[in-house]
Amino acid sequence: MVRGVLKSSDGSATNAVNTMLKSLLKKQVLDAVVVDQMVPSGKSVFPSLVADAELLDADVFAPVLASSGAQVVSRLTKFQGFEKPVGVVLKACQMRALVELVKLNQIRLENVVLIGVECPGTVSVNGFEAKKTSAVEALNGGLDSRLRSACRVCKDPFPVSCDMVIGCFGIDFPNEVFVESLSEKGNKVLEEVEGIVEGPVADHDKAVEQVRKSKDEARKKFVDEVANKGTDGLVEFFDSCINCHNCMSVCPICYCKECLYESSVFDAEAYKYMRRSKRKGALKLPSDTLLFQLGRMHHMILSCVQCGLCEQACPVGIPLMEVFIPGAEKAQQEFSYHPGVDLEEKIPTIVYREDEYQSIGEK
Amino acid sequence: MVEDKGKEESFEPKIVGFLCNWCSYAGADLAGTSRIQYPPNIRIIRVMCSGSVDSMYIIRALLEGADGVFVGGCHPGDCHYIDGNYKARRRMVLLYKIMETLGLEKERVWIRWISASEGQLFAETVTKMTEEIRKLGPNPLSGKWDL
Repeated sequence: MVRGVLKSSDGSATNAVNTMLKSLLKKQVLDAVVVDQMVPSGKSVFPSLVADAELLDADVFAPVLASSGAQVVSRLTKFQGFEKPVGVVLKACQMRALVELVKLNQIRLENVVLIGVECPGTVSVNGFEAKKTSAVEALNGGLDSRLRSACRVCKDPFPVSCDMVIGCFGIDFPNEVFVESLSEKGNKVLEEVEGIVEGPVADHDKAVEQVRKSKDEARKKFVDEVANKGTDGLVEFFDSCINCHNCMSVCPICYCKECLYESSVFDAEAYKYMRRSKRKGALKLPSDTLLFQLGRMHHMILSCVQCGLCEQACPVGIPLMEVFIPGAEKAQQEFSYHPGVDLEEKIPTIVYREDEYQSIGEK
Repeated sequence: MVEDKGKEESFEPKIVGFLCNWCSYAGADLAGTSRIQYPPNIRIIRVMCSGSVDSMYIIRALLEGADGVFVGGCHPGDCHYIDGNYKARRRMVLLYKIMETLGLEKERVWIRWISASEGQLFAETVTKMTEEIRKLGPNPLSGKWDL
């Protein structure tokens, strides 16, 4: 397996990665890559399907996450898989989301080479400016106060279930980039890359351990602080929800083509609205916003990868992570489930054991 | 809405019950045909399987003001659809966990296994649940209009 660092010739990690991806395209090791490219305005990066090496101008370390890369791959492979190898470059959280979507039969992995990117955190896409925000800053803690709440308590900044990794922690970043293959497929790709200095990268391993530990601690603290809002607290937390369903549209896990909450199930005759209004005295409209939030949560929370795209998309600024991170942590712990880590690990609600939870239903 | 006077004494819990067609609903039927008395606080909705009770139904009942929600299914191993109740059980664990994490009262949601021959057990269970919910008091969500 290949493991080492890739030196940058001009002090730019982004250029080193781009040189590598370009050479893979030119050598036709990869037919195309799906990779974050900065749009000309410099306001955001978008996953782009790049086939021509000349047009490749990726920014894999850009500290911003505008949309879900996993969702993009789902759309690309909806009808059939790729015929030739395509590299899919995703930040760690989106790589986890991709694994969940594969489990949910929403992505075809044929000829896909998964390239995970270590992520030092992202800032909100609202007001993002490429010139003023860099990965080096994020890595040195310079962006800490601006990080999205999901990134502050990131579940795991290091991609695990993929073919190869591009990394930035514990090395001389941005003068070099960490590279590692995790599978035979990834190994074959990395063997084609020139300029990799192979060898042990002890500082990287130390950094991985340290960052994971500090993020875990921060997340535990966050969960303790914000969980258990109580009935009144929870109702107030969500009562500014305008039922736009943006959180659902951007969620990589919410894959249903026809969502229950967008269907006509909740349409009713006027007299039924009247009945509801008379029972409580008044009815906020559009109605059923808390029902949508709690129902959606129950449907997707076991696969939640805590990417925080829902919170970023909320037009009324509900800090959704305060509910979704505690929910995800506790629910996943209950079933000892680790979303996005292993393709073979089954989603808990589709399997069961006869001898479990025997006290449920027996008083 | 009845307000003020003697609220504590006059509180009658409203319980929404989702009973599986093959066991619990038949159990309730047996209780009825055997003339076993049980409180009228439960409003029964027949479903084909406890495994078909989506969390949405339970949450909606609570948000609309039900003081309790009861889900009845076949005993583990006896499901008409082989494993519907095992799946219902896992989903209930998930719902309990979410409610507990957010600070909602999971004591208002009950799941019990009651077979078609257990009319007596059904009556006893409904009696017990009515008492427990009466002790808990009215569902605080029933007074919320801003959901």
